[in-house]
Amino acid sequence: MFDFRFYEIWRSQEFVQALIDGALTSFWLSSIGGCLGFCLGLMLAISQEKSVFWGIRYTARSYIELIRNTPFIVQLFFVAFGLPLLMDYQWSFYASALLAITLNFSAYFAEIVRSGIDSIDKGQIEASKALCLTKRETLMDIVLPQALVKVYPSLVSQFIFLFLTTGLVSEISIEDLTWAGRFISDRNFRDFEVFIVLTVMYMALAWLFKLLLQLLKRYAFPWAEAEI
Amino acid sequence: MNFMENLFGPFYGNMIGLLLSATRYTIYLSLAAFFGGGLLGLILTVFKISPSRILRWFATGYIWLFQSIPLLMLLFLLGLGVPTFYQIDIPPWLAAGTALTLFTSAYMSEVWRGALESIPTGQWEAGKAVGLTFMQNLCWIIAPQAFRIAIPSTVGFMIQVIKGTSMAYIIDYDDLMRWGKRIANSQLDGAEPFVVFPIVALIYFSLCFPLSLWAKHLEKQARDS
Amino acid sequence: MNKENLAISISGMSKWYDDFKVLTDIDLSVTFGERIVICGPSGSGKSTLIRCLNHLEEHQKGSIVVDGIELYPGMKNPELVRRTVGMVFQSFNLFPHLTILENCILPQRRALKRSKEQAREVAMKFLERVKIPEQADKYPRQLSGGQQQRVAIARALCMEPKIMLFDEPTSALDPEMVSEVLDTMIELALSGITMLCVTHEMGFARKVADRVIFMDTGQIIESNAPETFFSQPKHPRAKEFLGQIL
Ligand SMILES: Nc1ncnc2c1ncn2[C@@H]1O[C@H](COP(=O)(O)OP(=O)(O)OP(=O)(O)O)[C@@H](O)[C@H]1O
Ligand SMILES: [Mg+2]
Repeated sequence: MFDFRFYEIWRSQEFVQALIDGALTSFWLSSIGGCLGFCLGLMLAISQEKSVFWGIRYTARSYIELIRNTPFIVQLFFVAFGLPLLMDYQWSFYASALLAITLNFSAYFAEIVRSGIDSIDKGQIEASKALCLTKRETLMDIVLPQALVKVYPSLVSQFIFLFLTTGLVSEISIEDLTWAGRFISDRNFRDFEVFIVLTVMYMALAWLFKLLLQLLKRYAFPWAEAEI
Repeated sequence: MNFMENLFGPFYGNMIGLLLSATRYTIYLSLAAFFGGGLLGLILTVFKISPSRILRWFATGYIWLFQSIPLLMLLFLLGLGVPTFYQIDIPPWLAAGTALTLFTSAYMSEVWRGALESIPTGQWEAGKAVGLTFMQNLCWIIAPQAFRIAIPSTVGFMIQVIKGTSMAYIIDYDDLMRWGKRIANSQLDGAEPFVVFPIVALIYFSLCFPLSLWAKHLEKQARDS
Repeated sequence: MNKENLAISISGMSKWYDDFKVLTDIDLSVTFGERIVICGPSGSGKSTLIRCLNHLEEHQKGSIVVDGIELYPGMKNPELVRRTVGMVFQSFNLFPHLTILENCILPQRRALKRSKEQAREVAMKFLERVKIPEQADKYPRQLSGGQQQRVAIARALCMEPKIMLFDEPTSALDPEMVSEVLDTMIELALSGITMLCVTHEMGFARKVADRVIFMDTGQIIESNAPETFFSQPKHPRAKEFLGQIL
C-alpha cells in the first residue's frame, strides 16, 4: 500500500544531478522573467494613466486583458512555435520561455500595480499639486513608491502563484524541474515518488522566493519598516 | 459543422469546428472543477470557522497544502503517479477533474473565509443572543451577508479554473488545448502554429473575458452599495 | 485700490459641482500682509473657496486674480500661481515614504530646481522655525499629529510663498496638540505673510485676524474685524453659528 521507493531516485547520480540542474533552471527562469515582467508590468500600469495618449492606453489595456484571459500554455506555444515562423527567425527555446514568462507575468503585475496606484489617497496628489510638482513627478516620486509598498504582498503572492505554473516550459523542452521529473520517471518508472519529490522541491523554491522577496522589501522600502 | 464551413471555407471551417467541439470538454471540466471545488470549498470553509479545533486544523492544513502544490504536479501525481503506484487505471477526465477540484476548493475556501471574516463579530453575537446554534447562525445570518461580498472574487476565480484546465492535456485529457496542439503539429498548410494558437487563445478568451467583465461589474456594484 | 497691488481679488465668482452650486457670487479682495479667517457651518463652501485660489478646483464664473495672475478654467500652467501660494491641509498630507527633511527638499528640487545643498539649507531653516529640526530624519508616521502639521507648514514655507492657505489645520488633531500648531501659525502671522485660514479656533481669530469672513450656503454673508464680528454679528445665521461654537 505504501511501498515508497525514494531510493530509486537517490541511488542514481544522474537523477540527482538532473533534479539540481532543473531546480536551478526553474529558479533562474522565474527570477529573470519575474524581474523583466515587473519592469514591463510597471510600464503597462503607468500607461493606464489618463494623461497618456489614448492609443497607447487602449493598446496596453487590451494587452493586459488578452494575457489575463488566456492560459499561459497557449501563450507559450505561440511564442515558441508560432512567433519564430512569423518572424522567420528561429531563436532558442530558452529565449521563448523567458519571453513567454515575461509577457505573462507582466500583465498580472500591471493589474496589481494599477490597483495600487488607484488606491493612493487623493490628498497626496493634492499636496503634490499644491507644491507645484508636475503630473509626471507626482506619479514617479510620490504615488508609485507608495503604491508599490501597498501592493507588495499581492505582488509576492501573485509571483509565487505564477512561478508554480512555470513547469509548463518543460513542454517546449526546457530542462527545468518538471522536465527533470519526467526525465527520471521515464527511466525508473517511479512516477509517484518522483512527483512527490518534485512537489516538495517546488514548495521549497516557493518558500525561498518568499524569503528573498521579504529581504528585498526591507532593502527597497526602508520607510515601510521603520519603527514608530 | 456546415455552418462553420460556409463561414470560413472547408479547411478553416473544419478546423474551427474541431476546436469548438473540443471546447466542450474544456467547459465540462471547468464546470466540474468549479462546482466540485465549490462544494468542497464550502465544507472546508465551515470547518475552518467551526468551533472544533481539529476541524479547523484539518482545514488549515488542507488549504495550505493544495495552495502550495503546483497544479501541474497535482495533475502528474493523480494522472501518472497514482496509477503507476497502485497499478490501477485512472481515466484522464477523472484525474484532471479531481486535481482541479482539489485546487479549486483550496482557493475558494480562502476567498469565502475572507468574506466571512469581514462580517463584524457583532452579527455573530446577535445571532447567539437570540439562541441560534452555530450552523443556524452561519446559514441564516452570516452567510447571506458574506455571499454578497464573496461573489465578485468567486466569479473571478472561475477564470483561474478555466485557464487551469488547459494544463489537463498533459495527462491526455482531450480538451481544446490538446486539439490545438494536435492541429498545430499536423504540418498542414494553413494550420501553422501561428494560426492555430491565436484561434485557441481566442476561444479561451471568449470563455474568460465575459466572466472577467462580469466580475468587475459585480465588484463595482458591491463597492457602490 | 489698484488690482495689481492686491494679493487676491475675487469678483462675481461662482462654482458648480455638476448642477450643484457650491459658491455664489463671491467678491473678496485681500491686500498683501492681510490675515483673514474664514468660518461658517459645515458644507458652506469654505474649503472650496480657498481651493479655488490655487486652482485645486476650477471656478466657472467670475474672475480670480492671485498675485497678478488671472485664474481661469482649464488653465495650462497653474504652477505659476501655486508657486506663490502655499497650502496646509486638514489631514497634513505629508509624503509617508520620505523623511521629514526629504518632504521639505523634494518640492524645492523639483519645482524650484534648487541644488541639494541649498534645498537642504532652506528646509532646515524652516524646520527650525517650526521647532522640530531634531526630527528631520524621521518618517512622518513616527511623529505626532501636531508635529506632522508643523512639518506640513514648514514644507509649504520652503517654497517661499507670498500667500498661505490653511484648511482647518487643527481639526484633525488631538486637543492637546492644537496649541502647538496654533502657536506656529501665530508666529507666522506676525511675520507679515498674507494668510487665509479656514478655522473654528476663535481665539486664534481674535489674536491675529485682520478680518473674519463668515460663509453660509456658498455665500460670504459677513465680513468684519474680529472684535465687531464677535461682539455684534449682524446676520442671524452668524449669531446662531457663534452661539454654537463659543
Ligand atoms: N467633489 C465634489 N463633488 C460634489 N460636491 C462636492 C464636492 N466637494 C464638495 N462638495 C459639496 O460642496 C459643498 C461645499 O463643500 P466644502 O468642502 O467646501 O464645505 P466646507 O465649508 O469646507 O465644509 P466642512 O466644514 O465640512 O469642511 C458641500 O455641500 C459638499 O457636499
Ligand atoms: Mg472643509
